[in-house]
Amino acid sequence: MSLSYRVLYVFLRNLYSYKRFVVPTFLVSLVEPLFYLITFGIGMGAYMGAFGGKPYLHFLVPGVLATAVMMSSSFECLYGTYIKIVHEKVYESLIATPVSADEAVAGDILWGSFRGLISGSLMMIVALFMGVAPASPGRFVLLLVFMVFVGILFGSLAMIVTSIAPSFDFFSYYTELVITPMMFFSGVFFPLDNFPGWMKTMAGFMPLTHVVRISRSLFTGEPAPGIWGSLAGLVVLTAVIFGISTRMMRKRLIK
Amino acid sequence: MPPLVSASKLTKKYGDLVAVDGIDFEILEGECFGFLGPNGAGKTTTVRMIHCVSPLTSGTLTVAGHPAAIDNRALKQITGVIPQEINLDNDLTVFENLVVFARFFDVGRREAKTRISELLRFVELEAKAASKISDLSTGMKRRLLIARALINRPRVIVADEPTTGLDPQARHLIWQRLRQLKSQGTTLVLTTQYMEEAQQLCDRLVVMYQGKILKAGTPSRLVEEEIGREVVEVRMPPEDDARILAELSAFSCVHERVGDTLYFYCRDGHALMRKLLELDLPNTLNRPATLEDVFLKLTGRSLHE
Repeated sequence: MSLSYRVLYVFLRNLYSYKRFVVPTFLVSLVEPLFYLITFGIGMGAYMGAFGGKPYLHFLVPGVLATAVMMSSSFECLYGTYIKIVHEKVYESLIATPVSADEAVAGDILWGSFRGLISGSLMMIVALFMGVAPASPGRFVLLLVFMVFVGILFGSLAMIVTSIAPSFDFFSYYTELVITPMMFFSGVFFPLDNFPGWMKTMAGFMPLTHVVRISRSLFTGEPAPGIWGSLAGLVVLTAVIFGISTRMMRKRLIK
Repeated sequence: MPPLVSASKLTKKYGDLVAVDGIDFEILEGECFGFLGPNGAGKTTTVRMIHCVSPLTSGTLTVAGHPAAIDNRALKQITGVIPQEINLDNDLTVFENLVVFARFFDVGRREAKTRISELLRFVELEAKAASKISDLSTGMKRRLLIARALINRPRVIVADEPTTGLDPQARHLIWQRLRQLKSQGTTLVLTTQYMEEAQQLCDRLVVMYQGKILKAGTPSRLVEEEIGREVVEVRMPPEDDARILAELSAFSCVHERVGDTLYFYCRDGHALMRKLLELDLPNTLNRPATLEDVFLKLTGRSLHE
């Protein structure tokens, strides 16, 4: 793998081009999760009574926040990267410079992660207004760091899909068959406790389950059982997926 | 002085397809070297290996003494690329395109600004610095590609069909700029399908076809050796060929029948013309031989699809 400080150059290139899209993308990345919070959190939550001693919204926010990070970083590394490869040929011009293909990919994953961080932070601001906040200022900072990490995880995963995508339509398979099920079965909206055993096992294989578990304990301040295992698993998974994604993208970019 | 670029048995395969088939060539520092050939001849594949974005399958290729290889940053640092397809960054302005590219080459911010204003003047785009890429004409985009390729002050410039799709004015401006660069000592590696472009720019060239080099030499030398000085074209139905050719047996011309035309390649076209007029064949044309004749003779006149 050929990585250096040039990863940052690629990130900065994206930041440069982002100036023109800041407002619309802010809105887009805020609207959907906001709907979840309002409809489920406030609307449905009103009928649900206390949830672990607190209003349902407190249960919901950490999950929806994690989902927002996942969505933003995934979409950036699916559609954003695909456009840059196929339509705008940005990658082609990049790899003719001293920037390597690995650096171009890593820079884009980092960018996807940054987009995830923005979405998550916007959610956090909304949540603060609704009276939901991380357990302490320290955990607030940890949560920000964690969002960057989650962005790298899902950005890398999306990059693998992009590396083999023959067209835009291909991405629907991934979003419908992987992203959406993860959103519903990873304990974002309700605890997994009442699931039958096999479904719990399945949820255990979904990275989002572990992401939500960690996010939630950063809000409650109580380490959930198995949280260190979740973190260790996610770190290893991210390293592996990142390695695979750069490798597969290199195959796509260098012929 | 050793050659700047040197290839030996250079081969590139994509699966079963042999795109470049064991070619040898040398490019000298400061010259303009052309790869001429029809679509799919292997020109672009060859230059992509020279500027290190495509790995070789076998053979050797060195640029400035280094083996050309993917991720060879030292080589990429001294190379400027004018790509065939316009791949400017549409999200950025003209100026920003150059700023971002300068950074990729580790050019400092202040230095980059100086170079950018210099380069925009060079390609006559000063007035467009703040424009969006979508507001530029194709000619302007191509000129911006040249400016971008120069941001790292390259020793060698690879120009892959740099004037495709341009009107004559835009094309001549680009030719002038490329010649200017050459006069400043930059080595140019050019691929083209336009014979006029090759004749205008190249000191030496190779004609490629199906991954192989068919001929190499200076443009005038190639024309002289392969065709002669002049070409006489006679438009007439093929039924009369035998009769006419018998009449012309005294002339030492090579002939070729293509579609509705009989071509004669010879040293002196005038005598032949007089004879043709005597034979009452008015639909004739005598012209100097060009690189295009060489090209068509070497690569055949049928369509390459």
